[in-house]
Amino acid sequence: MSGWGAFLGDVQEQMPLILAGLLQSVELTVSVSVTGLLLGIVVFYFSLSPRVWVRRFTQGYISFFVGMPLIVLLFLMYYGLPQWGVILAPFSVALIGFTFNVAAYNAAYMTTAYNGQDGSELEAARAQGFSRFQIFRFVSLPQVLRLSIPALTNQVICNLKDSSVAFLIQYTEFFARVQELAASNFQFFKAYLFAAIVYLALVTLIILAARFIERLWVIP
Amino acid sequence: MALIEIRDLVKKFDDKRVLDGVCMDVVEGEVKVVMGSSGCGKSTLLRCINRLIEPSSGTITFRGQNITDSSTDVRALRQSIGFVFQQFALYRHLCVLDNITLGLRKLRGMSKLDAQAKALHELARLDMVEHCEQYPAQLSGGQKQRVALARALAMDPAVILLDEPTSALDPVMSREVGQLINKLRGENVTMMCVTHDLVLAGAIADRVTFLDKGVIRAEETIAHLSNHHADEQVRAFFGSAA
Repeated sequence: MSGWGAFLGDVQEQMPLILAGLLQSVELTVSVSVTGLLLGIVVFYFSLSPRVWVRRFTQGYISFFVGMPLIVLLFLMYYGLPQWGVILAPFSVALIGFTFNVAAYNAAYMTTAYNGQDGSELEAARAQGFSRFQIFRFVSLPQVLRLSIPALTNQVICNLKDSSVAFLIQYTEFFARVQELAASNFQFFKAYLFAAIVYLALVTLIILAARFIERLWVIP
Repeated sequence: MALIEIRDLVKKFDDKRVLDGVCMDVVEGEVKVVMGSSGCGKSTLLRCINRLIEPSSGTITFRGQNITDSSTDVRALRQSIGFVFQQFALYRHLCVLDNITLGLRKLRGMSKLDAQAKALHELARLDMVEHCEQYPAQLSGGQKQRVALARALAMDPAVILLDEPTSALDPVMSREVGQLINKLRGENVTMMCVTHDLVLAGAIADRVTFLDKGVIRAEETIAHLSNHHADEQVRAFFGSAA
């Protein structure tokens, strides 16, 4: 357990690569959190459709992507698709795969929040003459998003932690750089402890940001 | 010609006839009060008028047009008919001012400033200006119902439908709402109110329509209905409720 000085020296030496990896992790996390939220809103909207087949399709979408391990989806796209002539860059695969997966979870969270909503407000909006989309846009969605902040925050945290999975499809994010560091000096315990501390710091930042947003958006 | 003419209106839920051949007129400037016990079809009747519920048969004519017709622009119709709900149904994520301006901006296409001016005018009419930045959860029941009325009035509807406007309020607040409806009646606002609150009915209308099991049984003054009506059941409803 000795040699922290030497280990930190190694970290310092590889800092540009580690920071580049960290940037890749943050880039992926932010990207999939945004795209996953946007697609999640679309899926959630269609899950409220008056058409039965549309609702069934969205339920199927949610069940499929919640049920499928993310790594299988990423491998299917990164290693499977080239056999059909479709070759995508690691970031593209991660972005698409994560987005489909995260959107399914986000849509499920929003549906739960929607089910707890007061139906009389929706009826009032219909009685005022709002269209189905306007009711969604101006009445349901603002409330559902606010009520879903804790669940959506958890999802962003999951996105950050799961971004390390992208290392398995050659996306050189933070954990991949830590792996390289560990392999270079054989200080596995220290390297992974270092990774854990960095992830914990990032998660803390996400939680603080979420609390700020929650306070800002709170419905009295 | 009446503003609203209802003829032979029937609404069935499965085999149950909730409205069974209702005929009624609402004249411009009138406050029409429909009374009846819970489940008699009062709220269903209101919801049929603005097509929140589709009638099974019969006709409803609004400003001379049959609105039960499939070609009716339902959204445009609803914008001409204000609706005030029993549980207020204010948008809880919006402050009082935004609750009122939302419809004006998104349905009437008014600018934010014009919508706010209109909303403040309606709030002033109902003595609620000082609450304009508060959220529904910060208001009392009576204040919420005032905001709901202001929201309906802001759209300049031809008629306002009130669905049990006092049933969620205590007696003091109920009286306030009654006074408010009377004030609006003085301003020639056409309203149709369904309620089982005899005090409210007595305060806002001279004559009431009694609905029982989806059928109109009487249209008379409350005093007549409670003392002299031929039907014992009608007398019992008004007598016991009084």
